[in-house]
Amino acid sequence: MAVATPSNSIQGKLFELNWLLPMLIFLVGCIGVIVIYSATGGVWDLGASRHLLRLFVGMGFLLVVAMTNIRVWMALAYPAYLIALALLIGVEFFGVSVNGSQRWIDLGITRMQPSEFMKMAMVLALARFYHDLPQWRVSKPVGIIVAAGIIFIPVILIINQPDLGTSLLLMATGIVIIFLAGINWRIILTACIAAAIAIPLFFMYGLKEYQRSRVLTFLDPERDPTGASYHIIQSKIALGSGGVNGKGFLQGSQASLNYVPENRTDFVFTVIGEEFGLIGGLGTMSLYILIIAVCFWLANQCRTLFPRMLILGLTTTFTLYIFINLAMVMGLAPVVGVPLPLISYGGTVMFTVMAGFGMILSAHLHRETKLPRGSGLLL
Amino acid sequence: MAKKNDNDTVDIGRRSAMLAVGGLGVFGVLATRLYYLQVVEAENYKALSDQNRFNFNIVMPERGRIVDRYGEPIATNKQDFRLVIVPERVKNFDQTLNRISKILPIDQTTRKRIKTDIRKNPKFVPVLVDEHLDWSVFSALSMKLPDIPGAIPLAGQGRDYPHIGIFSHILGYVGKPNEEALENEPDALLRQPSFRMGKTGVEQSMDKVLRGTAGRQKVEVNALGRTVREWDDGKIEAKRGDDVWLTIDTEMQAFTAEQFGEESGGAVIIDVMTGELRTLLSMPTFDNNLWVSGLTSAEMKRLNSDPKRPQYNKVIGGGYPPASTFKMAVMLAALEHKIVKPTDKVFCTGKTRLGNRTFHCWKRRGHGLMDMHDALQNSCDTYFYEIIQRLGMDKVRPIAEALGLGQTFDIGIGGQISGVVPDAEWKSRKLGQAWRMGDSLNAAIGQGFVLATPLQLAVMTARLANVNQAVMPKLIVDGKSNDFAELGINPDHIRFVQEAMYSVCERPGGTAYRYNGLGIAGVKLAGKTGTGQVRGISKEERLSGVLKNQKLPWKLRDHSVFVGFAPYENPRFASAVIVEHGGSGAKLAANITRAILGKALTKDGVLPRDQIRN
Repeated sequence: MAVATPSNSIQGKLFELNWLLPMLIFLVGCIGVIVIYSATGGVWDLGASRHLLRLFVGMGFLLVVAMTNIRVWMALAYPAYLIALALLIGVEFFGVSVNGSQRWIDLGITRMQPSEFMKMAMVLALARFYHDLPQWRVSKPVGIIVAAGIIFIPVILIINQPDLGTSLLLMATGIVIIFLAGINWRIILTACIAAAIAIPLFFMYGLKEYQRSRVLTFLDPERDPTGASYHIIQSKIALGSGGVNGKGFLQGSQASLNYVPENRTDFVFTVIGEEFGLIGGLGTMSLYILIIAVCFWLANQCRTLFPRMLILGLTTTFTLYIFINLAMVMGLAPVVGVPLPLISYGGTVMFTVMAGFGMILSAHLHRETKLPRGSGLLL
Repeated sequence: MAKKNDNDTVDIGRRSAMLAVGGLGVFGVLATRLYYLQVVEAENYKALSDQNRFNFNIVMPERGRIVDRYGEPIATNKQDFRLVIVPERVKNFDQTLNRISKILPIDQTTRKRIKTDIRKNPKFVPVLVDEHLDWSVFSALSMKLPDIPGAIPLAGQGRDYPHIGIFSHILGYVGKPNEEALENEPDALLRQPSFRMGKTGVEQSMDKVLRGTAGRQKVEVNALGRTVREWDDGKIEAKRGDDVWLTIDTEMQAFTAEQFGEESGGAVIIDVMTGELRTLLSMPTFDNNLWVSGLTSAEMKRLNSDPKRPQYNKVIGGGYPPASTFKMAVMLAALEHKIVKPTDKVFCTGKTRLGNRTFHCWKRRGHGLMDMHDALQNSCDTYFYEIIQRLGMDKVRPIAEALGLGQTFDIGIGGQISGVVPDAEWKSRKLGQAWRMGDSLNAAIGQGFVLATPLQLAVMTARLANVNQAVMPKLIVDGKSNDFAELGINPDHIRFVQEAMYSVCERPGGTAYRYNGLGIAGVKLAGKTGTGQVRGISKEERLSGVLKNQKLPWKLRDHSVFVGFAPYENPRFASAVIVEHGGSGAKLAANITRAILGKALTKDGVLPRDQIRN
């Protein structure tokens, strides 16, 4: 098991870095450029060029994050979480409302979405928490209550914004991490039963009218063919009409005639399905699976808990993004506004995803770094 | 420790394997779904995609009108003709543009703009060639259409402001929504090429009311996205925007603009009972139709370089020294705090010494013995220099604010400033300096730091005329009742001030006596003159003789200020007029007031002449 610790020089680290992952990421990002180019009717300036630029800047950012010592991320775990929490509370009071949800904080030059930041901060905090917590306490009340607090405080704040998609994503990621930490099966079973009772109640009383309408529309798309379910119907027509081989690059009529709204952002997969068919769709999914598999492989090489938890947690978030987006586009889930990472047009997502992969690589690169346990909160 | 670690990771290893299996399962479901959509159901969806190309077109709502208090339209819609070309249907651009330019001239910059627009947009998006076309040009183009493939003439609605100039600042104008608006509002209506939204003024503040609701129509389109058939069943008609009613009287607004002529400034007429603004005018104005059709850079330059700043809404956004019209507030503060009795006299020698500084009265030879009533009637500065020293500005400020100075009002348009009612607290907060007695003396006669807008002065006068209520100005009719707060100043004191304001206009010796009141038999005017100094007068200059205003460059001349209300016995309207650099004395402002208040009272039988006693 005597793997040489990575040299502290930049060249040494660059040499040690796992280059397969960044290459796969870049490849998927390039697919994004091509698809956005087609989605905007073959016009370079309507998004494709920006996406390419962001991809390059994002790759640079990824490398910088990856080179940074894991101890830095570990030390920042709790502070980052608390800052994210403070920003989420700040959004309640000073936030800017866009489309009726108060999700943004105006920083003057740009606006930021604290919930986006929280996605990473929560994974960091949970990884840190389980790193410090002795195994035997994971299923004890202390372990459960603190972990649940770390997850549900931000989830409740984000539901309040209201942003159902992000809060569900956050909750699912947190639950996966608790599961990985080795919580007792008995507790898992109890939680499942509680959820089975709570979810219908939440649907009736906890949701905003438009959120309920989205869920109902998903269950019965013909309910409102011009409004909320327009997305789903048109998206399915685009995918279905693509067939096995697709209509060919730039030939997708559903996409270019603007039948599918948001086709360069959340519904970008419809363009792939329409123009490149089942082959293109499955090919894209395979690349995603490859990226996720590489991440699991990287996690498996780590011997300490923090980097391992961090990689698995971040990979879970990435995977859930893909699941929710694809399920939504294929009409298997309600429309919740989750982008397809690396392919959808959008600066914030690109930034978050690259930061996430940067941390995954950093965790792997510094897998032999000694990380003391039990120095965190409560212990 | 190491052993413990190993135990942990073994369990994680097992659980992450479970997770991986679960994840692959989900991918399996997704892949199956994709297979189902793209292989099993493919024929179905292909048919839907090819034959059943329905789309929902937005039906544009007509924008609501803005009308004055009598229903006279002041912002309306008119037919507007445009020419667009669809790039994907054009074979040779230069040829097409040349053919068009035989009927409709296209200059080089437009040609360049069209080419950029074509490059920046998908090929099926129509690109604008020109808008606001004459009917003759439009019909000529329509005739030639078969020779110009790809060109489409369109008839739509455009905004029109029929009363050119006089409503510019109130109405604002409409234009294409900017990036920010598009980001904040997901409504597809905003994305229609012919949609216009309010950018400033009432057009902006009431935009949601005026805008209306888009309708929807099902249309069938062919493979190129062209509409081949429109369905009338299931069509949702567009809902026209609601009209917005203003309290302004167009005739008064136009008449007031006439009185200003070439002068610059602002004028307000306000109903002293309801607060409704009959006139709210900033001069000079501009033609806001130019904004709707797109301002040329030459026109923009001309507007921006005009020293009289036509674009600037002076009546609510211009801060001027209220000059002697501020003396009413000082007087009321002195009475409320019982600093002086109205009968106490001050001897005016024409100047007051404070330390080594000398403060002059406007009348250099002095007024002699003055009591409070005489001091306002003659606008004696010395009297106010004296009582402010006993009173202090911190006691004047609450009264001035109660009268409406130093604040903005919710009248529904932007661009208001709050002006300044200074005291020690204000000066240390804003300038970080200590208050000095000299500041008080300047402020007592409405100079120095004191700044007010014409609207604030009108509100002050309306409250003085009303006696009991803190009248709030109203520009947009909202159907709410006028429940104003109590003014909270002793009515006897206000009546005393009113009486003094009456003497200013109607008794010999009053500073406005020579302007002959309103010139309407039996209707008495009460008011106050003001001369707002723009420059300091140096000692040397005083010794060598102060220059006459007419000899100064325009920018350095005094502002002419007049506030008033009428009829004195039973007040109906209050007014405030400021003529920028109108020269010494209140002559210009007083003459305008005389004309506009007189007309406001006599027009429409509001105050018929035959009902006036005497």
